[in-house]
Amino acid sequence: MRTANRCLALASVIAGVTLTAGCATPASSVAMTATSATAVHQIGSDVSVAVSGGKETASMGASQISDQAFAQALRDSIEKSGLFAKVSPSGARYKLTGFIGKVDQPLIGFSLTVKMEVSYTLVDTQSGTTVWTKDIATEYTAKTGEAFAAVKRLRLANEGAARENIQQAIAAMTTLTL
Amino acid sequence: MERVLRIGMLLPILMLSACATNNATRAPDANLSKLKTFYVVRVPEDERGIEKLIAARLTAMGYQSASGDAPKPAAPVDGIVTYQDRWMWDITMYMIKLDIQIRDGTSGAILAKGGVMRPSLQRKSPEGMVEETLGVIFK
Repeated sequence: MRTANRCLALASVIAGVTLTAGCATPASSVAMTATSATAVHQIGSDVSVAVSGGKETASMGASQISDQAFAQALRDSIEKSGLFAKVSPSGARYKLTGFIGKVDQPLIGFSLTVKMEVSYTLVDTQSGTTVWTKDIATEYTAKTGEAFAAVKRLRLANEGAARENIQQAIAAMTTLTL
Repeated sequence: MERVLRIGMLLPILMLSACATNNATRAPDANLSKLKTFYVVRVPEDERGIEKLIAARLTAMGYQSASGDAPKPAAPVDGIVTYQDRWMWDITMYMIKLDIQIRDGTSGAILAKGGVMRPSLQRKSPEGMVEETLGVIFK
């Protein structure tokens, strides 16, 4: 009886620890930064970036994409691409806003696909006119080979969808002649 | 020993009975009060008619709404509604999560979004999930 109690106690503690060990981590700005986006046409002014619609990650919830992380990835990607002369914290000639309108995540599965949609708007702050607007939808599938733990696979899928989204946004903005 | 057993058993129970959450966000400068007519696009995988529930709720809220399979309505509307519903099994099937996006009727850009997540112990009917999600979006 005593041995059975010990086994039960051990099993329940293991079950509890297993469940709590898989804490979610948020999508990182470094992993969301587009690497291969190169501007064909450089806009000779500076730009500021603002993002809304993201979510913070709760340790017991699913991995999410925060406004801060996505905005940082967008800033870093623009700087790497050389699309604008400079990325300024505020008061720039152009203001790029991104609204994360959709992050569709699976609840369970082996291959996890995240579908993401962001509405971008580029405004000329001097004239107040919207010079470019585009809704970009992307998705990324993280397979079991990429990460064994589902919480990590979901984060990789988030980051992949965001990276592809930023890459497409920069590619679309390179065609602008401002 | 008994204390360890209790704590150990309590952990999984706490994990599996998470709290219900709802949230909504609007795009900068989005003005939902201008929208009067809606078209709800059915998700191809949805066999439960959630698009009809959303359209019915919008009508009950005083808007003019319709639903269908086509990604764009036959006649112009102010807003297009898309959604993603997630279901789980716990004795019976129940809707655990519903996300709804309100899009501009012309450009398709997302103007606002809202989502509700309700685990098994706090489950609601699909009608209740739709009502709660649209409620937080148009609050």
